[in-house]
Amino acid sequence: MSNIKERYAIVGVGESERSKNSGTTPLHLALDAARAAIGDAGLSPKDIDGFMSYSENDSCTSHQLATYLGVRPKYVKDILGGGSSTEMLVADAIGLIETGQVNTVLIFRSMNGRSGVRMGGGGWDVDMLQSAIDGGSFIIPYGAGSPSQWFGLFATRHMYETGLTKEHLGHVCVSFYEHAQRNPKAYFYGKPLTMEEYLNTPNLSSPFNKHDFCLESDEANAIIVTSAERAKLCKSRPAYIMGIAARQCVSHAHYWSNLSEVASDYVAAEVYKMAGVKPEDLHVASIYDCYSWVVLRQLEAFGIAPRGEVGDFVAEGNLRMGGRLPSNTAGGMLSEGYTHGMNNVLEIVRQIRHDYKGTERQVDNCEIGLCTGWAGPDIAGAMILRN
Amino acid sequence: MDYQKPIPLKNQDNQPYWDGADRHELLIQTCESCHQYAHPPGPACAKCGSTELSWENFGSDIKGTIYSFVVSYRPFLPGFQNDLPLIIAIVELEKATTVRLIGNIQECNPDDVKIGMPVKMTWVDITDDRALPHWIPAP
Ligand SMILES: [Zn+2]
Repeated sequence: MSNIKERYAIVGVGESERSKNSGTTPLHLALDAARAAIGDAGLSPKDIDGFMSYSENDSCTSHQLATYLGVRPKYVKDILGGGSSTEMLVADAIGLIETGQVNTVLIFRSMNGRSGVRMGGGGWDVDMLQSAIDGGSFIIPYGAGSPSQWFGLFATRHMYETGLTKEHLGHVCVSFYEHAQRNPKAYFYGKPLTMEEYLNTPNLSSPFNKHDFCLESDEANAIIVTSAERAKLCKSRPAYIMGIAARQCVSHAHYWSNLSEVASDYVAAEVYKMAGVKPEDLHVASIYDCYSWVVLRQLEAFGIAPRGEVGDFVAEGNLRMGGRLPSNTAGGMLSEGYTHGMNNVLEIVRQIRHDYKGTERQVDNCEIGLCTGWAGPDIAGAMILRN
Repeated sequence: MDYQKPIPLKNQDNQPYWDGADRHELLIQTCESCHQYAHPPGPACAKCGSTELSWENFGSDIKGTIYSFVVSYRPFLPGFQNDLPLIIAIVELEKATTVRLIGNIQECNPDDVKIGMPVKMTWVDITDDRALPHWIPAP
């Protein structure tokens, strides 16, 4: 395997408007995000020759997007997928550029996630779910149809084994909501959360109340990946990819078979090795946050705090500005917006590039950042970026 | 009234389990090659890949302990609106501690459910010919 460390970069990021009811199609949203990312990179649409997207059958195709940017693509790919798909497609893009298939790839996620197809559960065909999920007949007839329940089973056991409390979940939420107060585009901008309010909110599905759930939004995000050589021709400051672990899995597709392992445990070793960094070298992070607990479990997996000490780590304010690892600094999916993780990628690129320099949103001296993806306990990915 | 909740779909891999449930018995797939239990059942052993599989009948007196659980206060699937709050648990079998089954805990106050709690399997006849295993607190 050739070493790709720092030979590829994210050179453009962009997003559409974010709302609860876009009143438009995913294609329109995707075009807005793509044009923003292309403008950010200082490229023209014709410089992009590969287009990729992920969706849950709720988006437009890459070929459609390219068509209405006026580009005939050399390569398109649309995959079914949610969390950790961004990391996977970035790695795929690198492979395609490495083998000379394309030069520059635009990856997008577009969804009417609130007004259209919602991810939080409900509305799915139950027979489809039973067949689509490994061992589905052993879980769906018992009313477990939401990721909050599937991941909640992990959370309850993990909290029991490691001493994490509801208040520790709350520290994740309060920290991220606090970040959102510096981001006028965040959904919960102007709506900070206190611990008292958090603890007084009833559970929707234990151990989670509504604040532990990510929100749902209509929006599109786009990023552009190219080689380090081409990155020099862009007007933006490149965010170099030091390491990427595209996808790792746990040992059984019916992931409830073993609550002791999550895919992030396997991702961490690979991504640190490729990047040649250690957890203590990180300055900023975007940690996939579909639920608050998912952040805590990843802090353990990625060695950011030792197992059993993750609760203290977040209670000490280490995810906040000025903490040991400011994370999800735009508010994350808990309070900014939700595109199955790509909005978190946009934010870490902007932090690494020091886009917020001179404002209180900029993490001081941040050179190296971790971005994680979580499809579930079963499948995950991550990348480490530097400026 | 007709049963409104999802009924377990039988397929070639899980049929002995659900046929057993319909008779109010618990059957667990086992691997003849590595002698480990395989749950959920599949076309091959997930531990070693062997297709030398068989089924062990645990009968109708099934005990276990709660390994993890959630309590849901809203229905995430159709048909569960009258079952709230709903306790969904992973239960470790007393006679095969490597086997953990997902099920609902019935006849239990949601404030009382906790990890390590002993439970006993019970079967609810949901249609003329189908039954669904559940759990109740063990005396
Ligand atoms: Zn075996």
